[in-house]
Amino acid sequence: MKFVDEFRDAELGRVLAHEILGAVEPGHHYKVMEVCGGHTHSIYKYGVDDLLPENVELVHGPGCPVCVIPMGRVDDAIAMAHEPGVIFTCFGDMMRVPGSEGTLQEAKARGADVRMVYSPLDALRIAKSNPDREVVFFAIGFETTAPSTALTLKRARAEGVPNFSCFCNHVTIVPPLRALLDSPDLRLDGFIGPGHVSTVVGARPLEFIPADYGKPVVVSGFEPVDILQSVLMILRQLREGRCEVENQYKRVVPYEGNLRALEVMAEVFALRPHFEWRGLGFISHSGLRLSDDYAGLDAELRFGVPGVRVADPKACQCGEVLKGVIKPWECKVFGTACTPERPIGTCMVSSEGACAAYYNYGRFAREREVV
Amino acid sequence: MTVVAVDNTRGLALCEDEAGARSSVEIALIDPVAPGDTVLVHAGTALA
Repeated sequence: MKFVDEFRDAELGRVLAHEILGAVEPGHHYKVMEVCGGHTHSIYKYGVDDLLPENVELVHGPGCPVCVIPMGRVDDAIAMAHEPGVIFTCFGDMMRVPGSEGTLQEAKARGADVRMVYSPLDALRIAKSNPDREVVFFAIGFETTAPSTALTLKRARAEGVPNFSCFCNHVTIVPPLRALLDSPDLRLDGFIGPGHVSTVVGARPLEFIPADYGKPVVVSGFEPVDILQSVLMILRQLREGRCEVENQYKRVVPYEGNLRALEVMAEVFALRPHFEWRGLGFISHSGLRLSDDYAGLDAELRFGVPGVRVADPKACQCGEVLKGVIKPWECKVFGTACTPERPIGTCMVSSEGACAAYYNYGRFAREREVV
Repeated sequence: MTVVAVDNTRGLALCEDEAGARSSVEIALIDPVAPGDTVLVHAGTALA
């Protein structure tokens, strides 16, 4: 397939791996964070880390949208789903994310009308087909997904669909990155920048990382050759004493982003003063709500939600995984009490979650090493 | 995904993924597309 096959070329991957080997300084341990959950998934799926020298470590970041949703917001979603007459719609992954009293999937089993959708447009279609029911869309995701929600809300208003509303949990990528960089727990040498978020916001918002923190960033595509090339670009910056934002994913990411998407987001959303992230706590200006102009479509205002903050289960170490402080397999419940079939933490739910990606792919490579 | 057909009046395109599954995609955020074009789709919206 165009834009895919050439970036899965095994021979090209081997050439890049060889060049990476030549770009590292022996004795120096490099820690590179891949921000995006899509990268984490690809790294484990294709065994990219197996091609890297031992002194180049990939650290998983907070860019899995499902993983960062705190338990309290899941509880709020379940409360809405149980409102009389409500059809509650969400992406498939969100149905399995545990709140304090179960998941949306379990709420569905108890009688709530919870439906999986592939896009907010699907949810709007359900609303138009069920004019006597209230249809709520559980909006999650970074700037990649937010334009889709924004367009659907514009469409709902233009087409006059009064029974449609949105429970907005969209988040933005820059504030958590800044929080991580301010954290004393973590020493990083560089970042593999988020590819799809950058398609929307561009590479420019990442310039604070080299400017304020002196770390190189390379915005990367998601195929194995993309990731290997991005690691090489970071290592070359370090070797040459450069520190800047580079764009490896030029076939998709314009440096200035998608201006139409930014415009529609600015119209439909406004920044919340703060938003809670699983494992990272409250981060200022990191979440989106519906703008005052679109408040009539805000499910939080239409229904009211409990809005109670719920602590993560003590056994779960998703927070440390999301901050890159520990690896998935270092969590006490990884692969035993917490599996993709019965997840305790969010990182084990989504395919972009570090724990699920590692459970599904990476553990086999590790088992080989142990043997 | 590959564009199969375009409905400019509704701002939607019918697109097909690698496995042959088809779905409606918002195309308001990208330059005009035509059947045969490749688009990057996220949550039902073409971003590039």
